[in-house]
Amino acid sequence: MAYLSTTDFAQDKDFIDKWLYTIRTGEMDLSWMKSATEKISPEEANPRRGLTYRDLNLGTYGYTDIPEKVRNNRSYAPRGAEIPEGVPDAQPWVSRKSELWAFNTESYYEEAVSRQWNATTDIPWDRLDGVELPEVTGKALSQLMTFLTEVEMIATDTPAMWLPRLNPDFIEVRAFIAAQAMDEARHAEVFRKRALTTGWGLMQASPINEMALKHLRDADSFSEMSVALHLVAEGNVLTLFRFSEYLSPTDVDKKIFRLVMQDEARHVGYGMQHFKYVLEHFPEKREVLHAHLDEAENISFAGAAATELTEAFIILAGGGLKKENIEQGIKVTTQFNLKQMQEHFERLDKCGMPERRQRSKLYLMYEMGRAAAENAGIKLN
Amino acid sequence: MAFYADKDYTIDETVLQAAQKVMEGHLGLHWYEAKTERIAGRPSDPKRGLTYQDLNIGSYGYTSIPEDVRTSQSMVSRGSEKVGKLPDMGYVVNRKSDVWSDNVAELYEEVKARRWVPATDIPWTELHTNPLPPELEMACAQLYTFLQECQIVSMDFPSKWVAVINQDFLEQKSWMCAQMLDASRLFEVFRKRALFGGAGLGRASATAEQGLKEWLWADQFPLGSVSINLTLAGFLLTLYRQVAAFAPTNVDRRIMRYAMQDAARQTAYGLGQLRYHLQHRPLQANAIEGYLDLTEHVLLGLIGSPELLEPMIIICGGGLEKAQVDKGRIATAKFIRLVVREYMERIAAAGLAGHAKRSKIPAMIDRISASA
Repeated sequence: MAYLSTTDFAQDKDFIDKWLYTIRTGEMDLSWMKSATEKISPEEANPRRGLTYRDLNLGTYGYTDIPEKVRNNRSYAPRGAEIPEGVPDAQPWVSRKSELWAFNTESYYEEAVSRQWNATTDIPWDRLDGVELPEVTGKALSQLMTFLTEVEMIATDTPAMWLPRLNPDFIEVRAFIAAQAMDEARHAEVFRKRALTTGWGLMQASPINEMALKHLRDADSFSEMSVALHLVAEGNVLTLFRFSEYLSPTDVDKKIFRLVMQDEARHVGYGMQHFKYVLEHFPEKREVLHAHLDEAENISFAGAAATELTEAFIILAGGGLKKENIEQGIKVTTQFNLKQMQEHFERLDKCGMPERRQRSKLYLMYEMGRAAAENAGIKLN
Repeated sequence: MAFYADKDYTIDETVLQAAQKVMEGHLGLHWYEAKTERIAGRPSDPKRGLTYQDLNIGSYGYTSIPEDVRTSQSMVSRGSEKVGKLPDMGYVVNRKSDVWSDNVAELYEEVKARRWVPATDIPWTELHTNPLPPELEMACAQLYTFLQECQIVSMDFPSKWVAVINQDFLEQKSWMCAQMLDASRLFEVFRKRALFGGAGLGRASATAEQGLKEWLWADQFPLGSVSINLTLAGFLLTLYRQVAAFAPTNVDRRIMRYAMQDAARQTAYGLGQLRYHLQHRPLQANAIEGYLDLTEHVLLGLIGSPELLEPMIIICGGGLEKAQVDKGRIATAKFIRLVVREYMERIAAAGLAGHAKRSKIPAMIDRISASA
C-alpha cells in the first residue's frame, strides 16, 4: 500500500461511539455550520449559456484570486472550502499558477462539455455503404488514419497523466485536461473506426513519428509538456486536419475532420493562452521553454521524414499514383508542410516569443523550403 | 528531460535525404502492402451507429487480446503492422485481467451517448425563485462540499493510471478518459449547486480525505479499482439515490438523477473488472480479500464523517426541528445499512461470496443503524 490513512476507522472507538450517539439521539455537533467560508450571491450572466464557471468567479471561490503560489491547499478540498487539520497531502507537483494557467480556461472547458460529439452516431457511417474507393486512395486513407491513431494515443495519455499532479485548487485547468483526455480518446476512436471501414484495415506504424512523439510524455514540467503538446504537436495536427478535410475522399471523412478540428482548435487555443501566460508571469521560464522547443520542433522534422505518412498524403492530395497525380500531390504536400511551419511561428509570435525565429532550425528549414517552393512556382497562400 | 528522440532529425542526413527523395516524386511505398487484416466494418444496427462492438473482428478485436500482452509496448494501434524501431512506453499494466471488464466497450459507448451539460441541463434559477430555509441550504452546501472531495479523487484515479496501461487495451483506456470527464462534470455540478444556493462551501472532511487517499494510492490497478470504481462509486450511487428521494428542491433531484446514471456506470465497470480479474486469476481472491480487510474501514470513515452524516440527517428530515431530526436520523440509519448491504452484494456478485461473513463492517453497521 502506497498510503495508509492516519486512522483505521474500524478501530477508532471515539469515532464509532460519536457516530452511534448521533444516530441514536439526533444530537449533532454542527460545527461545519460555522465554517469560515464566504457567502456569495452568484447570478447567471446569460441564461441561455446557463450557469458557468465564470459566473462563479467570485471572491475566494473564483479563479482570479488564486495566488501565484498556492501554499494553503495541498489536499482534496475544493477551492474556497474550510480546510481542517488532518487533511492529507495530495502530493501535487504543480502548485504555481503560471505553470499551468491560461486566460479563458473555464470557457474552453465549458465549450468542451457542451460540444461533446459521438463518434458512433454523429458520423454518417451508413453513407459508406456502396462507396468503393480506388485501392490506392483507400490504402492511403487507411495509412493516414493509422498514423492518426498513434498520434491520438500519446495525446490522450500525456495530458491525463498530468491531471493528478495539478494542485486541486486549479479546478478549471484540471477540468479542461479531463475534457481533453476524452476528446483525444474520441479522436483515436473515430480514426480507428474509419480505418476499419475502408476495406483495408489499419496499415503500418510510423516508427519515426512514434520515437519523436514519445518526447511529449516525458517533459519536466507542465508548461514544457503544454508547449510541446498543445502548441507544437496539436498545432501541427490542426493544420493536418484542415488539409485532410480538404483532401477527404468522401463526405464521411470531411465530417470526421470537421469535428476533430473543433476539438483540436480548443486544445491549441488553451496551449497558446497558457504559453502567453507563462511567458508573462514567469519570465525566468522563457529560456527553459526555448530549450524545450528546440527538442519539440524535432517532432516537425520527424513528421516530414516519416515517408509512410508523407507518401499517403501525396497520394490523397494528388488523387492517385500516376505521374500527374504525384506532381499535384507533392505541390499540395509542400504547401501543407510550409503552412504547418508558418502557422507554428505565427502562434509563437502571438504568444510573445517572436525571437524564436532567430534561434530555430525549423525556421531555417521553413525559409529554405519557402524559397524552393517559390522557385518551383508553388503558391503558398 | 527523461527522454530524447533517438535522432536529431534536423541533422540526420539519411532521414533528410529520404524525405527529399519522396518530395522529388520517388515514392518507396513500403507501407502499401502492410501485413494487416483487410476488413470493412459496418454498423450492425444503423440506428445505434458504428460501435466498438461492431469492430470486434479478428486481429482488431478486443476479444483476441491475449491475457499477457508481451509484444506491444509502443503507441501502435492494435492490429497495425509493427515495423522498425518503436519506442517502449514503459507500460506497467500489461495483463488483460488486471484492467478488463466484459462490459467495458458497451460502457464506453453508453457514456458518450448519455452526455449532459451542468451549465444548461439544470434549471439553476429555480434555486433563487424557491430558496430553501437557511439550515437546509447550509446542509446542502456541506453535502456538496463533501461530494466535490469525492469527485477530485474519482478524477485522479483514472488519470493516474491511464498512461501506464498498455495501449492494446484501447477500449478500456477510452473508458477511463470518459470517467475523467464524468468526474469533472460531477465536480462541476456539485460546486455550482453549492455556490449558487448562496451558502458557499462548507468544511472539507479530514476523515473522508484520509480514507480517500488510502484508496486512491493503492499500488496496483485492480486493488485501486475495487476501492474507487466499486466501493466508492457504489457508495456514491446509494448516496445519490438517497438524496434524490429526499431532495429538498427539484434542482437537487435533477442533479442526483444525472449523478446516479454516471455512478451506476462506474460501479458496473468496477464490478465487471473485479469479476473478470477473479475469473481469470482465481488465486488473486486471497490477495483481494486481504486488501479489503485492510482498506474497507475507509467506507466507515466516509459514511461516519460528521461532514456527511450530519447534513444527511438534516436533508433527509427536512430541517433541524426535533421531529425532523428524528425522521432524518432514522432515514440515515437505513441509508447506512443499505450502503453496506449493497457493497457486500456487489463484492459477492463479483466472486467473493464469503466476504460478508469475513468482514467486520456489517456487524458494526448493524449496531450503529439499530441504535436509531
